[in-house]
Amino acid sequence: MIATGDRSHQTTLPAPSLKERVEDFLALEGELLDERRFDEWLELFADDARYWMPLARNIEHDNLAAEYTREQQDAAWFDEDKKTLLQRVMQLKGGDHWAEEPFSRTTHITANIRIESASETELTVKSRFIVYVNRREGEVRLFVGKRIDVLRPDGEGFLIAKRSIFLDQSKLLFKNLTTFF
Amino acid sequence: MVRGVQMDGDTIDGRLVDAEAGLIDRRIFSDQDIFEQEAKQVFGKSWLFVGHESQIPNNGDYFTSQAGRDAVVVTRDSDGEVRVMLNMCTHRGMPVCRYDKGNAKRFTCPYHGWTFSNNGDLSGLPLSTDGYGGQLDRKKWGLIQARVTLYHGSIWATFDAAVPPFEETLGDMAVMLRDFMQGPDGEDDGLEVIDGILKFEIHSNWKFGAENNAGDLYHDVSHNSVQRVGLALSGLRGRHVWNADKHSFKILNVAYPAGGHAARVNLYDDEQREYHPQWAVVPEVDEYFRAAHYARQDRLGEKARLLNRGGIVFPNIAYNSAGRWQITMWVPRAPNRTEVWKWYFVPKKAPQKVKDTLRHYLLRYGGPSGMVEQDDIENWASAQVGAECAAANRLPMNYTLHMGQAQWAWPVPWFGEGAYVDEGVSEHAQRVFYARWAEMMGHPAIEQGQEAGR
Repeated sequence: MIATGDRSHQTTLPAPSLKERVEDFLALEGELLDERRFDEWLELFADDARYWMPLARNIEHDNLAAEYTREQQDAAWFDEDKKTLLQRVMQLKGGDHWAEEPFSRTTHITANIRIESASETELTVKSRFIVYVNRREGEVRLFVGKRIDVLRPDGEGFLIAKRSIFLDQSKLLFKNLTTFF
Repeated sequence: MVRGVQMDGDTIDGRLVDAEAGLIDRRIFSDQDIFEQEAKQVFGKSWLFVGHESQIPNNGDYFTSQAGRDAVVVTRDSDGEVRVMLNMCTHRGMPVCRYDKGNAKRFTCPYHGWTFSNNGDLSGLPLSTDGYGGQLDRKKWGLIQARVTLYHGSIWATFDAAVPPFEETLGDMAVMLRDFMQGPDGEDDGLEVIDGILKFEIHSNWKFGAENNAGDLYHDVSHNSVQRVGLALSGLRGRHVWNADKHSFKILNVAYPAGGHAARVNLYDDEQREYHPQWAVVPEVDEYFRAAHYARQDRLGEKARLLNRGGIVFPNIAYNSAGRWQITMWVPRAPNRTEVWKWYFVPKKAPQKVKDTLRHYLLRYGGPSGMVEQDDIENWASAQVGAECAAANRLPMNYTLHMGQAQWAWPVPWFGEGAYVDEGVSEHAQRVFYARWAEMMGHPAIEQGQEAGR
């Protein structure tokens, strides 16, 4: 079920809290990816959005600042803006991107959602993710990690202004990152 | 032993690699015995890239890397010398360094406390007097040191005392490797590593990636999707910025059979060429490349006709150049499992805006999140399925594309006398790669054949 659509049956329910609205938004977002509705997923991003997944490294205990590669400076798995996310969506949708043709089956689970700070214009939301990918017959990829999202209130919903994704793998244990997080 | 693993069918003779016929036994990608012999005969007797000097600018800096299947720690020791040492305690074999990078004067093994200086010396030995009676020869029990060669910033190592010097095994491929390490203005040693090495694992034999980079210009169909979407910042569709250069050129597969190396290049007809904007989407970046283009022509003269797209230093190091500066290393873990390491580079003297733009382009190009290489990785893992197909084990892999037309030291003498060159879409460089592989494995390819070494 997609959370958009007729909400008339909810009129007797109390108005959702901010946290419930954020949870609903993140669930919707995962659904759109799992249902391969990539264009609609992309619409959830602000025009100036950033999408970043650094590399993780094995580092001495007193040097944890170096555990992840630095934003806008070092290598990363992803370092995108909305325009390049659109390019990736266009690549996925063409039927000739063999690393995702046929599409993998994915399930995005977002948990431990916590609003770290909120103002009129911006929310910082921390969460954990499990992304399960099953490709063709036997190929399974399991990605677990942490996310920090900066969301902007937008009408009833939100826009993602920035997403930082911290994958709990230093060496990527799977061959491709053809999935959005 | 490999000699026992021979084609018993009638499609090809007993050799694993028949380079003259362009046929290769698919079991070289899947057989465990061949894999084990390869570790000794190919990786154990080759110079192997382990990293770049820009990763360890200061004394005491280190990073961990791989020399084939063996883990190494690469340090700039307290005297400033670059060392490549087995990351293995000489006592019980534990890794003495468990971090990807850092700065340290010494490495202490967590098991029994043997401690090694960043030059490999055994500097700390618990119970040195009470347990060893002061008799343990510390000089003998330091970390095992590789022979090290620094080449225009790149660091190469081998643990074999008998392998000829690096430059000798590189041969005339030096023309290409040196060019790759130059900045876009043609200045030597012009690159620096972007911090952060990509590491990922693919279920594929390491040779599929290696042969692809040696010279597979045949697989464009794989990259339809990125060509359609566009990735280059030239403002044109496609993934390669050089497509914006409209001057006439030959596409060449420049192989160096003596060492098994190869490069994929464009050789432009003219030495002096007007710059055609290749980074037009970002004018500031395009200005840098325009100036670099003319500076390179001034500096290199005739050799500025070369557009070095990429290639391979035998056995397991690929480079991509021409705006996509990167080194890819294949670490063989099993016949069907390979760890891939990727270093991205930018011109070290370029303005920050250029470095930033290149970094974004590179990150979208290569590796498991790259819009180009995702489809390559899919190919290599899928080809492995066929390599392991039992019912097809008498069918050789077919490398016969564009046979018998390569020429020595052609079309320009400065490719070197060791250059064996084929024009256009061809599997020539792959045949050369496998002929060298077979030679190192003790299976010389057909001696008299034109595809074999000289």
